Amino acid sequence: MSAVTVSRTAGRARVGSGGAAGTGKATQGRRQRRAAFWFLLPDSLGLLVFVVVPMVLAVVLGFFRMDGFGSFEFIGLGNYVRMVGDPQFWSSVRITLLYLVGVVPAIFVVGLALALLVQQRIPFVGAIRSALFVPYVISLVVVAMVWEFMLSERTGVVSRLLGAVGMNDLAFLGEPNLALGTVVVITVWFQMGYYMVIFLAGLQDIPGEYYEAARIDGANAWQRFRTITLPLLRPTSFFVVVTATVSVITGGLDLVFVLTGGGPAGSTTLLIFYVYEQAFLFGELGYAAAIGSVLVVVLLAWSALMFAVTRGGRFDND
Amino acid sequence: MSRRQISRRDVLRLGAAAAGGLGVAWATAGCAPGSGAGAGPLQFWQQYAPAPQQDPNLVAQSQWFLDATRRWADAGERPVDMVYIPAYTDPTNTRLTTAFASGDGPDVFLISPGDFLRYYNGGVLTDLTPYMTQEAIDDFYPDALATRIVGGKIYGLPMEQEPLAIFYDVPAFEEAGLSEGDLPTTWDEMLELGRRLKGGQRAGLVLDTTPSYYQNFTFYPWVWQGGGDVVDPRTQRPAIDSDAGVQALGLYRDAVLSGASPRTLPAGGDLVGAFSNGYAAMWQTGVWQVEAMRQNAPDHPYGIFRLPAPAGGESITALGGWAWVVNSRGRDPEAAARFAVEVMGSMSKESIGAAVEWNGVAKGNVPARRSVTEAIGNSGAFESPVLQQFRDEILPTGRGEPRYPPVIYKAVSNAIQNSMLGGADPARQAATAQAAIESYLETYEGGTFL
Repeated sequence: MSAVTVSRTAGRARVGSGGAAGTGKATQGRRQRRAAFWFLLPDSLGLLVFVVVPMVLAVVLGFFRMDGFGSFEFIGLGNYVRMVGDPQFWSSVRITLLYLVGVVPAIFVVGLALALLVQQRIPFVGAIRSALFVPYVISLVVVAMVWEFMLSERTGVVSRLLGAVGMNDLAFLGEPNLALGTVVVITVWFQMGYYMVIFLAGLQDIPGEYYEAARIDGANAWQRFRTITLPLLRPTSFFVVVTATVSVITGGLDLVFVLTGGGPAGSTTLLIFYVYEQAFLFGELGYAAAIGSVLVVVLLAWSALMFAVTRGGRFDND
Repeated sequence: MSRRQISRRDVLRLGAAAAGGLGVAWATAGCAPGSGAGAGPLQFWQQYAPAPQQDPNLVAQSQWFLDATRRWADAGERPVDMVYIPAYTDPTNTRLTTAFASGDGPDVFLISPGDFLRYYNGGVLTDLTPYMTQEAIDDFYPDALATRIVGGKIYGLPMEQEPLAIFYDVPAFEEAGLSEGDLPTTWDEMLELGRRLKGGQRAGLVLDTTPSYYQNFTFYPWVWQGGGDVVDPRTQRPAIDSDAGVQALGLYRDAVLSGASPRTLPAGGDLVGAFSNGYAAMWQTGVWQVEAMRQNAPDHPYGIFRLPAPAGGESITALGGWAWVVNSRGRDPEAAARFAVEVMGSMSKESIGAAVEWNGVAKGNVPARRSVTEAIGNSGAFESPVLQQFRDEILPTGRGEPRYPPVIYKAVSNAIQNSMLGGADPARQAATAQAAIESYLETYEGGTFL
């Protein structure tokens, strides 16, 4: 405590001594900048080597034809031209959009509903929260395998239950009309716990006085939710929508690989699956990099749009 | 004695020195002996050894590889390290692909015919012909070696031949009052039987449903049986849009639509589990399941029969199997080639003995060489009547798994998937696949299609 006092006193003394104090302040500023530089250097180097350089290389690779064995050929916009005329690329874009439209709103609603539920003072709420969060920490491959067995045609527990009510021979992962919907449900199931926690944090930031005042004014539960909870959750909602969109577009590869392999009849070939297939199964690294670059640009544009429209998810009166 | 305090500047200096040292060590590591072209053991990437499991059969297979490398090293040759790659055959495993993309592929590795052209066209396979004698070349069955040859040069040495057949569950047949005399010989009979045997939790006839190289592999023989092909080996022109191609796609479509075949694989694709639990009555799969049944359900009765043929066609099956190949950009392709040929493609007593041990004991599958077949006879694993049936009855109807590059694989895969599971018109799917292959072949340069 005394050291701090001395230091402050010394500082004031330097301020009071005119030019000498100015020089001292400049020296201190330089020291602080240097310290900041050294502290930031390791992280910046890590980002540079493991994020920035690979990103730049991926963009550059998009202008080359590569065979996966070290052969490079500069083809300019060739990969992008190919993309425009590639029906399977557009099919995977369409499927990804359907997946997005299915997952993000569902995650939002289910995550918020669960957060509202576990916010209540109910018995074993801690255990319930943990149980709901557990799917998120399980390996996606394990999640996929468990669901694959549960949904197995004729023999899975879900199929048996449905068979008991006369719905026989439903192949959730073998029917093109059902497969993507099934993947959406599984995605929501394993991600809902994470978004529940995010929403829960947002809900706990809302002052209880607002609700008390609303109750005194006679607002019912729905009115309180609509006029207090939803508006004050806007920053959280913004975060959820942006991160869920990014995770849906760039994730799901493991799930699809194990559950359907992109089938049946290509109905679950998400864009990220198509990128993987091109890069690692077909050795078309340049084409895959070009698709990946487009994906990054689209996601950046989407995030920028969300920031612009929601003003970064801030409150209206900020 | 005065004690000098360590200042923040000292810490920073120390940190910078440590980081610099690490950086120099990292940068020069690549020049260290053993990692370059010069010294150090060669690397053999595969899915067998050293086995991470305790299963006696897997241990035996692992030991076979380790023994082969030990014999090689004992002869004073450059040692070979066996590098076990988990999930080597899994499409999610990118290790081999990324290793080659970064110029750091293994010296020796295993590939299936489906992958052959990608590596051959990439220029990374070593011609093994100069290291082999004509007698040894002639010792291989032509169908086993053909898909590893380009322009008369041998680029891979098959360890085995893996024919496809239909496995059937004897209890399922008995429950339905059927016997061996009721085994189908035509497509119509096969589908009819599939419908009849289906019921409860049991699927009738299982055809592979997951889009993959493997599904294509299981599909090709149905095309061949009608006299067709995906790409005509003589003209090198696409041929899927033919009566035979449409007919085969129609078979897959009818199998699912009629209910004879399920849309997904029972028991997660595990034949043993499916038969043991009554989840499947018939399943198109390969000789490797004989060993799986022997290990995991030795008392469960099952049988096999050759792939039924369409009306007017003949039964033909596809022959898969792994082959040893040598990386032409490896540390020492010459030593690696001599190693591969000595173990897999020489007429030496040791080479034939090793193959007898592999096909007749450790792995239990159909040999790729005549001398090995003769040496095994009906001993070891071939005491099994099912393996004898594979060798004597099914193998003669076999044709080597075709080698197609990814674009052709994908065109055929889409046609299969859309017909089988999407219920699309087979004729239209065949035409679409044909157009895609034609377009690709306009600019294709590489090994011939077989």
